[in-house]
Amino acid sequence: MTQAPAFETDFWKDANLRKVWDEIVPGEPRKTIPYKLTLDAIQLYCRSVGEDHPLYFDEAYAKQTPYGGLIAPPSIHILLMFACTPADDWMRTPGTINAGQSWSYNKPARPGDTITLQARALDKFIKRERLFVVHDNVFFNQHGDVICSGRGQTIRPA
Amino acid sequence: MSTSFENLSVGDTINGPTFDVSRESIRLFCDGSLDYNPLHLDDDYMKNSFGKTNFGGIIMHGMNNFGLITRMLTDWAYPAGAIQRRLETRWLKPVKPGDTIQPVGVVKSKQLTQKSRWVLIDVLVRNQKGEHVAAGEAMVEFPVASPVAA
Repeated sequence: MTQAPAFETDFWKDANLRKVWDEIVPGEPRKTIPYKLTLDAIQLYCRSVGEDHPLYFDEAYAKQTPYGGLIAPPSIHILLMFACTPADDWMRTPGTINAGQSWSYNKPARPGDTITLQARALDKFIKRERLFVVHDNVFFNQHGDVICSGRGQTIRPA
Repeated sequence: MSTSFENLSVGDTINGPTFDVSRESIRLFCDGSLDYNPLHLDDDYMKNSFGKTNFGGIIMHGMNNFGLITRMLTDWAYPAGAIQRRLETRWLKPVKPGDTIQPVGVVKSKQLTQKSRWVLIDVLVRNQKGEHVAAGEAMVEFPVASPVAA
């Protein structure tokens, strides 16, 4: 199982490798990368939205709850979406505008989990001259359990 | 009185945390989410128009709203042994540095299924002007027996 190379934060760098709206094929799987979710990554995400619940920070507390240990907040898929996809994934295209998302949650992700993603564009359409793509995504842990599944719409740069 | 399925009523409100949006908070969300789209980083790039829209400067990630709504819901649900099971959101207005946003929830309905109990919650994020910047709906499960989390 390979880990992603160091994360490229310059989203322009591989821009020419990414599919434009015309090239995105609904139904075709996106390339994905297994990702080892660390406690540091969970806690950095938590700080960025002000999450301070002890279930994410205090192991002694978390052990005494029904969760039995530290977990990640449900919204950790925000990070996982980029962590589990390669630099040429079209979700990184500069100017990609998120138009809304819906997510269902099954089991919490935990520090140390190896997360995998199954993802595809499900549909694409034009509305009021804007180019939309519907994406659908399921995250799994290393046991094959579904962590969460979700769908969203992005407006693609014209 | 602590929150329980029995004592919840339609119309009950949940007040989420206020969140001050700044260039630094947006940058921290880039690092936390690995979403380095120039929409959130690059003032020169944001002088461009996007279709018919010109944002006039960098904007907060829409998913920062999503993360904030989640924080409100889980902080409310955990003490009741309840579990956030679904969140659907759409973005209504861009959020910019200098804005202060706050999510709120309103209990919309309660429902029993064969094996569990559910609460539907309308969610909304407002800015300091009272404008709605995000809206959506959440579903929180209140398990009948003690929750099996893992």
